[in-house]
This record gives sequence, C-alpha cells and structure tokens, in this order.
Amino acid sequence: MSGPVDGPVLTAAGIERGYPLPRRRPWGPRTTVAALRGVDLRVAAGERVGLVGTSGSGKSTLLRCLLALESPDRGTVTVAGRAVRPGSTASLRWYRRLVQYVPQDPAGSLDPRSTVRELVSVPLRHLQVPGDHAAAVTTALTRVGLDPDLAGRRPGELSGGQAQRVALARALAPEPVLLLADEPVSGLDLPVRDQVVEVLADLSARQGLGLLLVSHDLAVVARLCDRTVVLADGLVVEEGPTADLLTRPAHPRTRDLLDAVPTLPA
Amino acid sequence: MPRRGWVTAASRAVTVLGVVALIGVLPWLSGRSPELSILRARSAEQEATPEALAAIRAELGLDAGPLGLLGHWLSGLLRGDLGTSWISGGPVGPGLIEALGVSVTLMTAALLVALATAALLCWPPLHRVARGERGRTGGAVGAALTALPEFLLASVLLLVGAVWLGWFQPFGWTGPSSVVLPALAMGLPAGGLIGRLVADGLTVTGTERWVPTWQVAGASAGQLSRALVRRTLPALTTQVALVLVGLTGGAVAVEQVFAVPGLGRAVLGAASAQDLPTLQAGMLLLLGVSAVFGGLAALTRALLLGRALRSGSVPVPARTTPSRRRDWLLPAGAAGLLVVVVAAGLGRDPLASAHPRLAAPSVALPFGADASGRDLLARVAHGAVQTVGTATLVVLATLVVGVLVGLLPRASVGPVEVANAAPPVIVGVLVAAALGTSQAGAALAVALVAWAPIAAYVAAASEEVRRQRHVTVLPVLGVGPAAVTWRHVVPAVLPAAARNAVLRLPGIALALAALGFLGLGATPPAPEWGLLLAEGMPYVERAPWAVLAPTAALVTTSVLAVSLSGLSRRPRRPAGPVAVPAGTTAPSPEQPAAVG
Repeated sequence: MSGPVDGPVLTAAGIERGYPLPRRRPWGPRTTVAALRGVDLRVAAGERVGLVGTSGSGKSTLLRCLLALESPDRGTVTVAGRAVRPGSTASLRWYRRLVQYVPQDPAGSLDPRSTVRELVSVPLRHLQVPGDHAAAVTTALTRVGLDPDLAGRRPGELSGGQAQRVALARALAPEPVLLLADEPVSGLDLPVRDQVVEVLADLSARQGLGLLLVSHDLAVVARLCDRTVVLADGLVVEEGPTADLLTRPAHPRTRDLLDAVPTLPA
Repeated sequence: MPRRGWVTAASRAVTVLGVVALIGVLPWLSGRSPELSILRARSAEQEATPEALAAIRAELGLDAGPLGLLGHWLSGLLRGDLGTSWISGGPVGPGLIEALGVSVTLMTAALLVALATAALLCWPPLHRVARGERGRTGGAVGAALTALPEFLLASVLLLVGAVWLGWFQPFGWTGPSSVVLPALAMGLPAGGLIGRLVADGLTVTGTERWVPTWQVAGASAGQLSRALVRRTLPALTTQVALVLVGLTGGAVAVEQVFAVPGLGRAVLGAASAQDLPTLQAGMLLLLGVSAVFGGLAALTRALLLGRALRSGSVPVPARTTPSRRRDWLLPAGAAGLLVVVVAAGLGRDPLASAHPRLAAPSVALPFGADASGRDLLARVAHGAVQTVGTATLVVLATLVVGVLVGLLPRASVGPVEVANAAPPVIVGVLVAAALGTSQAGAALAVALVAWAPIAAYVAAASEEVRRQRHVTVLPVLGVGPAAVTWRHVVPAVLPAAARNAVLRLPGIALALAALGFLGLGATPPAPEWGLLLAEGMPYVERAPWAVLAPTAALVTTSVLAVSLSGLSRRPRRPAGPVAVPAGTTAPSPEQPAAVG
C-alpha cells in the first residue's frame, strides 16, 4: 500500500467547464453550453462518496476533469496537496499511482488480444511501479477474489463477472488510495452486478480503499457509499450522509431522482 | 475543435503551395541546360558563344538556384506571363489557352457521358429498393467493363468505332463527330465508377430502418426514391469529386490516343520533348481545372447537407453488404486465366525476333508475332512478371508510407487529398520531366499517389480503434501517446491495411501499364504491357492480334482489379467479443411501430 495520506485525498474547487456548440449559421455567433458551473468536491482518505445525477448533469465531465483527461476552464483539482492538470504522461505518473479508475463497461475496456496477466501488468509497467510485477498481479487478482490461475486467459475466455473483476484488479495493481468508478455495474445482469458490488464493498470497507462512485443507480450508492453528492445542471445541489439524503431529500432534483427508482407494484 | 480545424486547413494550404512550388522548380530539379536549343530556336545564324548562352540562362533565371527560379516563375505568372518555350522560343501562354478550351469542351462532353452512364447503372437498384425489395448490387460484370482504364478503352473504341466500323474519324479535332469517341473513352470509366459507388450506396441505404417506416406510412415509390438519393449522395460527393478530378488524367491518355490537340496532349508532348516551361504552365492549368471540380463537389456537399455538416453529424455510409462466396468467383477466374498465360509463355523468349513480322496466331505462336517478329505470348507472359514484380514493390512502399502517414490523421489531410486526387498519369508526367523516363520513374510516380488510399484507410481505422474502450482507458493507466499508437493502434490496424494494399495490386499494375503506354515508363524493348499495346497500335488494321493480346491481358487485370476493390470495401469482422450497449432491447411484439 502507498503511504497513508492525511486530510483530503482529492479536492476539486470551483470547477467550471463549457463546450462550444456548432454554429447555427457559418457566420453566426459561437455559443457554448456550460457542463459544470462551479463544482466543489472533497474526498477524504478512505472515504466512500457517491456522485449521482441524471444524464446531462455533468457527471462525466467532472470525472474527466478529476482524471486529468480534460482541463477545467476555471477551478483546480488537488490531490494530496499537489495540483493536477492534463500534462505529459511522465508528469502525471505520481497521480495515477494514487488515484485509479474503473471505466463504464469495464469488460469492454480489456484489449481482447491480451492475456489477463498482460492486462493487469499494464499500469505496473507504464506507471513504473517498483517491485515484483508478477507478484503484484497475483496480489491484485486475489484482492478481487479471482483465481490467479486465470492469468493466462484472454478476455474472450472469461465470464462477464470475471472480466469486470479483471478490470478492477488492473486498477488496483498500482495500489492506489482512491478509486474513481464510472457506472461500474450498469448494464450487468443482477447476479454479476451483486458480485461486483460485493467486491467493491470488500475493498472499500475492509481494505481501506477510498471510493468515488459515479452512478445513477441509487441502490448501489446506498450499498457502497457513506456520503452522497447530487449533481444537477452542472452544480452540486445537495450533499450529505447517504442514509439521510435517501430518506429525507431536501432538494427537488434529489426527490426526482428518488421518484425515478422503479418499484414493483404491491 | 477550432485547433484541429487549423491543423487541417494548414495541412491543405501547405500541400497546395508545395505542389505549385514543385512545379515552379522543375527546371532546377531536372538539371537540364536548355540554353543551346533556345538559341537555335531563336536564330539559326547567331553563334553559340559562352556569353550568348549565359545571357539566356540569366534571362530564364536558371542560375539563381531553386528559390530564385521559383520567384522568377511566380512573378512572371503574376504579370500574366506563363513562360517561354525552350523549343520554339515563343511564349507558351496562347497555345495552352487554346488547348485548355479544347480540353474543357472534351471534359464537358465526357461529364455528360459519365452522368448518363451513372444514371443507367443506378436505376435498377433504386427501382428495386423503392419497391421494397432487398436491393442487391447488380451488374458486376457490366460495371467491371465500364471501369476499364481510359487508355485501354480509348484504344478499343478507336479499333471498333473508327477502324472496323468506320463511323467516326480516328484522329484530330475537326468537328462534333471527333468529340464522340474521346468523350466516351473518358466518360464511360468515370460514369461506371460513379454509378457503382452510388448503386452500392443506395443498396446499403435501402437496408436502413427508416425505409420500411416510410413504406408502412404510405410513401410513394417516387417520394422514397428521392429520399434514398438524398440520403445516399452526401456521403459520396467526396469520392465523386475524386473521379471527376481523375478526368484530367484521363484527358492525357485519351487525347494522346485520338490525337486531340488538348491540354493533356500538350503536357505529355512537353514532357517527352523536355520543354519544361510548357509543362509547368500546362500543369498549372490542369491543377486549376481540378480545383474547379473539387470546389464544385464541396459546394454540392454543403448544399445537400446544410447544418448537418457543421454540427459534425454527417451521415456515414454504413457498409453492411455481406461478403458472399460467389463474390470470389470473378477475381479467381481472372487470376487463374493470367496464371495460365504466364505459365505458358514464361519459358519462351520475349526478345528474339525469330518469327515472321506480324505473323498471325497459330498453334506454334498462339498470340501471333509483333512488328519485329517477336513472340507475343512470351512478351505478354514476361510483361506480366515484370509488371507484377514492380507492382509488388510499389504495394510494399505504399503500405509503409500509408501506415506512417495515416497515423497523423489531421496533419496528413492535405497530402492525402492531393495524392488521392492526383491522377497517376499527371504525376508520371512530372516525374518523367524531372528524372527522365524509366520503369523506376513510373513506379515512383504510381507510389506517389497510391499510398493515399491506404493512409486514408489507416486514418479512419485508427480513429475507430482509438475510440474503443480498451484504448480510451490507456492514458489513465499511465500509457503514453507513443505506446498507445505503436503497441495498441498499429497492431490492430495493420492486418486489414495490408490486405487493403495487396488487393490494390492489379490496379497498380494497370497504372504502370498506362504510363508505359504513354511512353512515361519502361523503355523498348522491355516486354511491358502498356508498351506492347502502344507498339501494336500502328498495325491495328493489318494485324489486330498485335493489339488484342496485350488488350486481353489488360482487360483481365481490370476485371481482377475491380472485383477485388469491391471485396476490399466489405467490413471486417470485429476483433473481439462485442459488448451489447446498456439499454438496448430487442423489439417486442407488444410495442407496435409508431407510424406517423
């Protein structure tokens, strides 16, 4: 494990980001749409935070800014006291070792031509993580509950749940302190979803990994996160302990989200 | 993104300026000393003293180095002075403007032929799709025959229309009847190509989901036809523009065959006579004609698409035609025929004049003999080996260059567009002017344009690979841009790019033959196919077999090229398991389709 980090691991302050719209006429004025309009976010060491919002609320843009894949127009992202902004691969290595990422459709994020061993060792090699990489691959696979004997297989030879866990193991291999997960279980059938949620719960609750979970699935957020932040129209409209927020939503947009949860008729 | 737009625009501007500058420094590149011939042309009496020769060199700006030469040429152009001929010593402008008029008339007629041909080819598939039948790309053999290279079709038309039937005059430019055969020779291949593109596009558009919706809603066949055409054409305007720009290359070959005093023939003549000022000015005018065609296509596209063009939501033609086993019959048959001819003729001597001049075909001499009494079967077979060998080297070169350039999609836009549009014949003229005529020069000329489709393919395919999730995640894992390109994008793109390049081999062989035919490639007595055809043409009435043997070989290669190019456009199988996107549901019978 990387050394303990005191205070907030990740801080985003006043993040603003807009995108230009295509001109209506070739000579017309250039207009922009604001995706983020001043977002503040803090994740403490070992904290588990849910980020919820409808599509178009700015979740994906915020995540891209936090991952230093995109530069905010205004505002700063700070990790363990150091500013983070898009830059050369080498200049971001320290950051990528501390903060890792599980993409949407994790199984699709595995190169079909590589073996599990190659896939999991990609961040170890490229982030220049010191130590025995073969052992680190085995450790990472064990942490997500996979048999290390699967290391020789290719993604096409894995079940859906196994592939998702390989993607998780790859993110965990450099031993980050914080995991950013973008809808990691959407599009999965229920048994597989429960498996992955259990692995995430085990990692964050028992192994001390911080988690920022982006999801529109409130059940998953309720299961995994201590605190929840609601994003709407590029602004944080409400945040608080997950239990309070789900039972006594204060903001109308939070209530809309809760009302949209499907329930079986009695 | 504005920055990307700038890179693309700069790439285009730099390329066009580069081509113009290249034309401007041609005299320096060729390293020739024209002062003596100019002196002789001006006056027979004047003595060729060193002073007189130096004066002429200074007047032409030849000693000022490439930049001074370019400045001299450009400032002349701004004053309306196209240059002074190295042969006649007179200004080249008036003659070339006249030739331009002839070529524009011919190209307009060829354009009409092309549009009529394209309309004929598109009518059956449009009719089928509009009536609700599953359209099939039909008429493969007919389309293959219309896609013959211009120099070959021109020779065949001359043979049939002027020599055998005697309906049209074979040479010259005397009246409306002399336009017919050249216009057909240029227009039929262009129209065949456009027709094939649009017919394929219509067939694919016909499988889109909105078509049954319109039919159920009661749209008439006419309404549906108009909508199908409107949906199909925008995606094809760029390709159609390339075909039209290709007419300038066709003009060189066709004007040469029919002795039409147009711009193409003037340029070709200037290249073989090493009259570089005429060549420079002619090239510039041809470039201008190409720019007009390109501009017209861009305008058409903008009018058809409107706002969709600026919002980036341009419809992309989806290629879903499945590859059938019978698609391989035609290319396999053509390839088999060529292999049989090569096997039969490879053991015979292609260079010895061991037979009677122009001997007719017999059992001992299956293809007859040429004007020097050489065995035509042996010449065709050895020519195939020589052409295929050269074409293979060209294919390898284009694959390497195409992959390297295709990895820089935005910066390479300009060079790719220009190389894609430049007809090999035009480039062949430029290379011959700079380096002299040789088979290596022809190979260089063909390679200079043939890398562009590979680069365009690699650019599109690598963009697609870069958007796949297992590649987009790599930066977060610490993988730098170079490693993403070389370890993930190139290995994914290379196999299909190589297949694409190999399937273009027959087309490249034909381009080499076209240059040989025009005297810009292999030199006698090499048994090169284009050269064989050119050597046989003068004897076409007395000994048609001297023309028929190379023509048959070239037609077979054309059929091979066209049928293979159809296969190369079929989609590849996805490289791995395809994840079903979240939220896709199969249509259920409980939800009837909404009909407006």
